[in-house]
Amino acid sequence: MESLNVAFFCWESLYAERVGGLASAATRLAEALAKNHNVHFFTRGWMQDQEINGVSYHYCQPQGNNTVQYCENMSNQMVDQFQQSDPQEKFDILHFHDWHPIQALHRLQDRETILTFHSTEYGRNGNQYGDWWEYKEISGKEWYGGLVAKKVTAVSTVMKHEVMQLYNVPDWKCDVVPNGIVPEQYRASIDPGDVKRAYGIHPYAPLILFIGRLVYQKGPDLFIEALRKVCRDRWDAKVIVAGDGGMRQYLQERARDLPVNFVGYIPDSEYIRLLNACDLVVIPSRNEPFGLVLLEAWSAEKPVVACDVGGLSENIDTFINGIKVQPEPESLAWGIGTMIGDPVHAQVLGRRGRTKVDRQFLWNPIANRMTDTYARVGG
Amino acid sequence: MPDVCIGFEVHQPFRLNRHFSPDPKKKEKDLHALYFDELNREVLERVAEKCYLPATRIILDKLDEGFHCTFSFSGTLIEQLEKWKPDVLSLFDQVARHRNSEILGQTYYHSIAGCFGDKSEFVAQAGMHTDLMYDLFKIRPTVFENTEFTFNNQIASCVKKMGYAGIFTEGVDRILDWRSPHHIYSCNDLPVLLRDIQLSDDIAFRFGNQGWDKYPLTADTYAEWISGTSGDLVNIFLDYETFGEHFWKETGIFNFLTYLPEELEKRGVRTTLPTEALENYPPVGTIDVRDTISWADIEKDASAWMGNERQHTAYSAIQKAATFAKGKAIWRYLQTSDHFYYMASKYGTCGEVHNYFSHHEADDAFKIYMAILADFENRNIRFMKNKRSAKTLRTLTPEEAFHFASPSGHVGYAAYSLDQFCDLLQVVPADSIAYHQERGDIAQWIEHVLFDQKLATDISGITDRQDLISTLTERRKLLWSHLT
Repeated sequence: MESLNVAFFCWESLYAERVGGLASAATRLAEALAKNHNVHFFTRGWMQDQEINGVSYHYCQPQGNNTVQYCENMSNQMVDQFQQSDPQEKFDILHFHDWHPIQALHRLQDRETILTFHSTEYGRNGNQYGDWWEYKEISGKEWYGGLVAKKVTAVSTVMKHEVMQLYNVPDWKCDVVPNGIVPEQYRASIDPGDVKRAYGIHPYAPLILFIGRLVYQKGPDLFIEALRKVCRDRWDAKVIVAGDGGMRQYLQERARDLPVNFVGYIPDSEYIRLLNACDLVVIPSRNEPFGLVLLEAWSAEKPVVACDVGGLSENIDTFINGIKVQPEPESLAWGIGTMIGDPVHAQVLGRRGRTKVDRQFLWNPIANRMTDTYARVGG
Repeated sequence: MPDVCIGFEVHQPFRLNRHFSPDPKKKEKDLHALYFDELNREVLERVAEKCYLPATRIILDKLDEGFHCTFSFSGTLIEQLEKWKPDVLSLFDQVARHRNSEILGQTYYHSIAGCFGDKSEFVAQAGMHTDLMYDLFKIRPTVFENTEFTFNNQIASCVKKMGYAGIFTEGVDRILDWRSPHHIYSCNDLPVLLRDIQLSDDIAFRFGNQGWDKYPLTADTYAEWISGTSGDLVNIFLDYETFGEHFWKETGIFNFLTYLPEELEKRGVRTTLPTEALENYPPVGTIDVRDTISWADIEKDASAWMGNERQHTAYSAIQKAATFAKGKAIWRYLQTSDHFYYMASKYGTCGEVHNYFSHHEADDAFKIYMAILADFENRNIRFMKNKRSAKTLRTLTPEEAFHFASPSGHVGYAAYSLDQFCDLLQVVPADSIAYHQERGDIAQWIEHVLFDQKLATDISGITDRQDLISTLTERRKLLWSHLT
């Protein structure tokens, strides 16, 4: 394989300014690429430029009165730094992540550029159009990025279609390259009985876990209604709902007569404990562009019951590594009941999920897929 | 009609002492008794009576009558026979020297060394095995069978380089795609003989299964199946213990073995030896095996030995231990694949198979293994040129290991050495690191368990994960440079 000189442009990274999941996705991809390529990462940070795990980081300190201005300022600083390193590094590929560095993409549009959509403003807004100026400005930048970039990637087929529909990106221009995962971060050797006991749950009682923001998109309400049916057959089933959000109060009200423990926002370590202690992970989302929770559950070898939507629909093979159901309580209840009714088989599904992660979702094979896309940028 | 090549893997490990506890008073020469279980003798004697003696007597008769078959003996088995069952060894001697048999090469310790990044240990153990076969039987094997059929492209290149004419491995669908295992293929220029999974497992697993629709399997039916196949060559390869041990003689397994040769002959199926097959049939295509395959479980990969965190921990620890191994013998006994097999956490029928073969529970198997390895390294530190660095880098016992936690309890990660601690820092939740740093746990551990006062001082107070990693990594590199 030919070694390329790659420049990443992303407003967050794992070791400096980090906001959400984008930091981890972009950083891990850069590190995996760095095994075969020379990768420089232009991002925000208040420290000296440095090299970590083979990736060279260049930090800028942007300013601005609002997000849009701030990102334009950031983009301009990134371009300045890029132009300082370019004569020496002779970058082959310029890879931009989400809308924040679009101004940099604009200035460097004559080069071999690629733009990755990790999400869209429409999706972040709960699959609804917005009418305020920031929404319009950001959507406009996303549209422009899709227009001028030589190549576009999306993290799932659903995301690809969303981008094609919203911003008229042609099919040929857009590749699907999913996110990867570091499964070791989620699989821990822990005694499930100990963790269950800490929550007042009998070690042999089936524990069902929901993790995510308590918002309409994630379908926690569907889940609670489904539980009403599940608990009619399984008096011993216990449920933990981890995460917070606007619907919490309503859900707690609805779940008053159910064995559900709302634990709110929990630190990562507690998530790892619960994830490895539970018997089933339920992902009742109404919409999910990718669905990272699925890969996290699989990494811990946990079976999943998930709604047949978005990235979940693409990645789960029903009765092989999980169960896909319709986003409605009856269907969810059936899936949950089937899983906890046959725990031995459920464990087999969970293990197969892990196998799928190890074959398809490690960062190294994902980086190879990205390299294939890089090869097509020029052509 | 294809020829049939029938082979047997004959192996016994030195199982670890289930009741091990460190005993500094024990001398070097007593270590074998301290580390390995008395059970080994018992098991060997039982298997000899039930399998090795009766089965080999039958096979010797059949070899005289013109039946051909192949054996692969591990070095650890031979050692046990020499000690406790010389009568079996003399039978095997007759088999090995018989003109109708062939002896395969393997690693002396039936080890996982073939998977190590550094192949020199693998080559050394294959060489030891060849020497053993020559000393005993005056034979130098020309075809190889790696431990439990583990195989990949690197192993192919390495075995080729050692000068073997071919290798056995599993006829796994995912490397063959639509192609038949009944031909010889080549991998990195090494001819490969592929085991027929279905026909082999008909004997190895299904023979005694009363729920199987073909039960009871008789030699004529089985010979009929083989004669009905197409291709150049059908490879049947079994654990030798299938005869009399996995399936007791009451199941009729010995009758099956007795009548199989003549039933095959009646149908005109020729039994052949691997060397002959390699001469007769050139490779018809190539196979590319990037991820390790094996004959284990349904996954047919390395997950039986390297599938869970415990196994990964032990696997990297044993490789690192090379530096500590002044005398290599014990270190090599600890590489035997069975120790890793016992640590597996598999469910379903494969899990049952793992449990059947194990003399202890998976978690105990891991803890005993690490305790013994730690004891072994500790004893060797006094021979090393930099004792302080060695002390800091050594493998730890389960009690000494660093168990990551949060205010609510264990988070499920444990570091059995400074190296593993650094690796785990990349994956453990940030709040767990913060929790330990706040309490000063990490500095305490480094000072009192790893005995590195300087490092303990250097890292105390560092809150950033990346800073912690780079400080530790720098120190770790320096310490290793003292040892190599």
